[in-house]
Amino acid sequence: MQLSLTVRGSGADVVSYLIAKNPNNPYERDEKGFKVRLVYPIFTKDEVQFLIYVKPDPIDLVRNSSDLFDITHYINDREFAVSSLFITTIRKALGTALNGKPDEEYLKWVGHEFDMELAFGPVATDLQDEEIADLFEPIGYKVEIERGVSTIQEKSSARFVTLSGSQSIQNALKHVSILIPVIDNYKHYFLDEREIEKLDRYGEGWLENHPLKQLIVKRALRFNALISQSKYYEKKPHIRNQDESQKVRLNDLRYEHIVNYITTLPHKQTIVDLGAGEGRLSVQLGFIEGVHEILSIEPSNKARIKAMERFEQVMKTIGYVKPQSMPGSLFYYDSRLQNIDIIILCEVIEHIEEDRLSKIFDIILNDYRPKTLIVTTPNQEYNVLYEMEEELRHDDHRFEWTREQFAENVKEWSQNCPYQVNIQGIGEDHPTFGQPTQMAIFRREEE
Amino acid sequence: MTTIHLPPAGIVLLVGPSNTGKTTLLNQFIQEEQIQPSEVVSSDQFRVLVSDIEFISWNGRPKDESDALFYEYQQISGAAFEAMDYVISKRCKLNKLTFIDATHLREEEHEKYLQMGKEYHVPVIALVLNISETELMRRDMERALPRGRNRIKQQYQHFKNTLRFIKKKPYRRVYMLGEEEIQVVNVSRLENPLYIDVGTGIDFIGDIHGCLDEFLEMLNKLGYKENDEGYFIHPEGRKILSLGDVLSRGPRSIETLQFFQKHVPAGLAYMIDSNHGWKIARWLDGKNVKMAHGDENVAAEFEEYERNFGSETAEKLKEQIKELLLQAKSHYIIRKNGVNAVVAVHAGIKDYYIGKQSPRISDFCRYGDSEGLDESGKPIRKDWTVSHKSSELILWGHDPKPQPLLVNNTLNIDQGVVFGGSLTAYRYPEKQFVSVKAKQDYANVPDNPLKEWERKRLAAPNIMKFLEGYSVLTEQYGEIRIYDDGVKPALDDLSHFTLPLEDIVYLPPTMSPTPKPSGLEEYLEHPQEAFEYYQANGVDKMVVEKKHMGSRGILFLFKNQEIAKEYVGREMLGTIYTRTGRAFFQKELQEKVVSALNQDLVKSGYFEKYNTDFVLLDAEILPWNLKAKDLILNQYAHVGEMALLDRYKLKNSLQQALDSGKDVLSWVQENDAGIDNAKVFNDVYQKYCWETEGMEGIQIAPFHTLAHSSETFFDKPHTWHMEKNKEFSGISRLFLETEYRIVSDEPSMKAAIKWWEEMTEDGHEGFVVKPESYITRHKGKLLQPAIKVRGRKYLHIIYGIDYLLPENLTRLKKRNAGKKQRNALKEFSLGVEAVNRFVKRESLERVHECVLGILALEAEPIDPRL
Repeated sequence: MQLSLTVRGSGADVVSYLIAKNPNNPYERDEKGFKVRLVYPIFTKDEVQFLIYVKPDPIDLVRNSSDLFDITHYINDREFAVSSLFITTIRKALGTALNGKPDEEYLKWVGHEFDMELAFGPVATDLQDEEIADLFEPIGYKVEIERGVSTIQEKSSARFVTLSGSQSIQNALKHVSILIPVIDNYKHYFLDEREIEKLDRYGEGWLENHPLKQLIVKRALRFNALISQSKYYEKKPHIRNQDESQKVRLNDLRYEHIVNYITTLPHKQTIVDLGAGEGRLSVQLGFIEGVHEILSIEPSNKARIKAMERFEQVMKTIGYVKPQSMPGSLFYYDSRLQNIDIIILCEVIEHIEEDRLSKIFDIILNDYRPKTLIVTTPNQEYNVLYEMEEELRHDDHRFEWTREQFAENVKEWSQNCPYQVNIQGIGEDHPTFGQPTQMAIFRREEE
Repeated sequence: MTTIHLPPAGIVLLVGPSNTGKTTLLNQFIQEEQIQPSEVVSSDQFRVLVSDIEFISWNGRPKDESDALFYEYQQISGAAFEAMDYVISKRCKLNKLTFIDATHLREEEHEKYLQMGKEYHVPVIALVLNISETELMRRDMERALPRGRNRIKQQYQHFKNTLRFIKKKPYRRVYMLGEEEIQVVNVSRLENPLYIDVGTGIDFIGDIHGCLDEFLEMLNKLGYKENDEGYFIHPEGRKILSLGDVLSRGPRSIETLQFFQKHVPAGLAYMIDSNHGWKIARWLDGKNVKMAHGDENVAAEFEEYERNFGSETAEKLKEQIKELLLQAKSHYIIRKNGVNAVVAVHAGIKDYYIGKQSPRISDFCRYGDSEGLDESGKPIRKDWTVSHKSSELILWGHDPKPQPLLVNNTLNIDQGVVFGGSLTAYRYPEKQFVSVKAKQDYANVPDNPLKEWERKRLAAPNIMKFLEGYSVLTEQYGEIRIYDDGVKPALDDLSHFTLPLEDIVYLPPTMSPTPKPSGLEEYLEHPQEAFEYYQANGVDKMVVEKKHMGSRGILFLFKNQEIAKEYVGREMLGTIYTRTGRAFFQKELQEKVVSALNQDLVKSGYFEKYNTDFVLLDAEILPWNLKAKDLILNQYAHVGEMALLDRYKLKNSLQQALDSGKDVLSWVQENDAGIDNAKVFNDVYQKYCWETEGMEGIQIAPFHTLAHSSETFFDKPHTWHMEKNKEFSGISRLFLETEYRIVSDEPSMKAAIKWWEEMTEDGHEGFVVKPESYITRHKGKLLQPAIKVRGRKYLHIIYGIDYLLPENLTRLKKRNAGKKQRNALKEFSLGVEAVNRFVKRESLERVHECVLGILALEAEPIDPRL
């Protein structure tokens, strides 16, 4: 990680006073275990170049991290990429210049715009070259980007950025102090309120009118709680795109339909939401009158943590039955699920390989024996109305069935089981393609 | 002359008032060394132990004094009996013989000891000393501490009462000794009839159920020869031990019973009591029993017999068979050098029943542990095997399993010959199995237990067993504890990403690098330390295999689609999965590769040659980028290019500074070295990557042939596995031969090190050092199954571009591979266990608990660079 600044023209040699570094001696300091080095490769009256670079300790760098037990943690670009780590580490060395406080006799040079070239890198970023250029061009730089050499990738993911233009030293350093971390989009430390203040200070004079202000604020502060506190933050009305709103509506419709159906059932004291995910449906079941116990079963711990938070949030509502989140899986036998009033598989089966389903339904219908089993799954025929062709509605879907396919499978699963089955649709009805969601209800015949 | 027959364990109650000579008699036995002094307890002795006082006389005292003394004596006696009974109960529990030297004139005392005998399953016998009242009076006068006339009189009254009730008590035996008999009494001590010395060997036979043809074939296989008198004799003097149920259900019960009726009394065979045997015994004894579950066949055979040989012969035979069955023991203990080695029983036993006999024990041994009835009226069997803790191997039958089932040091050898399975013999001390296939399904019942087992074999495992953490009992490592914080992420994986549970019959263990870092300055790892580890642990011969840099893959390949159904419950040609149980390739490519391998194996006649339905292989699949493409591009290539770009840029600037006279020579040199390191890094990962097009370019190096359908190969040395590797490379173009060397002495070790240096300098990952045997122990301790030794260059992509810089290397050498090694052993043992269980056709749940365990252990936090 390095940055070099080249200044040309008369008065170039003043730079050494502006940054308060002796042009004759290489500078080296230890900053929290990292070496910060500065040297002037060029120093003449009319042309001055200083190079500042940081050498982290590669072993120290990988200590104490949450992903200590992942191999990718040990081979990473943090040792090389210019980043917030870099900016933090060089801040002290360049403090005089950044704060614009050289010896008094050079104060007049602080605002002086030099003809300069500022190069830094390598950068690791998800931004395109044009997007990087768009960050600097509005503040008066010409941007050049060069790439490293790759023998295995089409083009190397390592890039080096060179800016040229007419800027004061202080402003140039302020620009990169904000924009290098924005490009890198990876913060090495925990972000807190001081970040807001830093952004306020270094952004002054150029960020207010930057066309990408919102992007910069967002990438600099990352968290909504911080972003909204920034003085550069502007609230924009959120426009939901068509696709998203449709999906949300269908989800809600589905939950509503299930809840309404359950309300009509005589036996609904105990309900199992199998494959409950983040508990969106489970939480709604808690409001149904007559429900005493809800088991929200889900194998993913991550999803379960979210579900538990969700259940906790509505805790205070009177008459609300809090679902119990429990780890569990459809591929195992689970004695807790026996003799339950209602078992629900809401948008679950399509995440399972087709050839594993009959075993699952065998366990549910013959061993768990719920009074009612509710199964929902997408209706593949309806996908044309979403302008989808072969693709599935979700990356993890292993299949999507037509109404005929679903009916066939339902029939097969319930063969030789004392269950009455009926299939319904959920969502807007189309004369040819039916409704977007299909729902099968299995009701156990009274013995 | 009266002979008292003493059981090997139990309670002998002496009965008689004071002065009858109980103590004298016992002392005489001790003197004659018939019994040991420690086998006698007496109330007098315990009175002294608890109070220092043997006897208190209150005769002739004023009333208040005698009351006080009497009260004190009562207190002492109470405490003494309590202590004594405690000791007796402990002796009973340990199956010891105890003589109780006290008067025992009150009925409740008899009740107490009979109850104790029942509780601890030991016999109680009574030894009554019947001496006249006048003689007792005379003797009391001669005592140092006379009990007094009144008390003798009183005691004698009680004694006369005792004589009346004692006959009705359930004593094993009651000996009545008068004055004369006492003078010439003789003692005989019985051996424990349940003990059998292993002698020249025992052949244990599972449930025969009248399958005489198969039984005779078995005798022949075991080497027994019929002599002129019709006895089957083994030339080495081995004996047959049947685990019971020799009759019922099958075609030739009577002849089978006759075999044992002939061989048991001759001391050539043993036969254990069993549920069907007991049923027929009671039927023959005239009891009203319901003849069902194949017992009706025995009745029919007897009717037939009577028609053929007349009622007199039939009655005689019935009497003989009844005797045989009634005398059959509940279990036997086979002892080697006087130490219990094997317990043979029909249906099950509890550890504290071993070596004892009682009706309750007999019942348990006949039927096993049953816990009420299920919905359809069948007994729910409780699993007694889980509570077995003592060191004996328990051999049992009764409950047919498709293969001999070893669980928790209990071994089931009933393979359901009468249900069309096979008859099993277990040879001890050789520990070998001999099997004879059934000629047909004789029982022909709808609820065939072998088919039932098959049907339930693939039932979904019970998640409640695992959720809170659990233990797996492995043959190699003993008990392995799996904790819930590993189980949960593993279950998550198994619910979302892996193949179906039944397809994952094995997962490979993690592999430790050299336990110690290299002693050489410029190396982190070096073969020397791997060799030293094995040599220090008594391994002289090692197999060193080149480590291919790809991804681990398990190949489970079937002979054909249909046959897979028997093993995994659905048709398929096979599957290839990763070390975490996920499909190795995308669906289409997976099918292509599996079907190509199947064609090659079938064409070569592999399945026929080895008479197997499948082959299970542990392999490395190349190239690395097949599985790791994203990792390589996003991680390795990216980091390598970043490093080079950074350092080349620095080089230019620093060089310019140096040229203009700045004192930065050391920075330039340091940066130049960094450039070289980054170049090495970039070369290394690229060496393991090449383009593949469909199947073109894919290479599979199978280094372990784990199993065929009827056997596993953990008993084969790695040289054998390498031979198999070579065999496979000749069968399919997809299979890659692995180079290997054998290290057995100094020169071969030096050569191996040289080989390693050359290949790693060339950028190869390195090699793996294995002890010759697949499973190796030293002084009982399991050794690492393999140790990887990675090259200097390769390690750049593990420990970082600049790991070899001295200031980095010294710190990295402080690594600790302890936990990695422990987990490697646990995962290895679980993997071996999983395959062994799978091949024995054990339930999916039993196989899966091992697989889940490996995944859970893999979720534990361990430095991934090791």
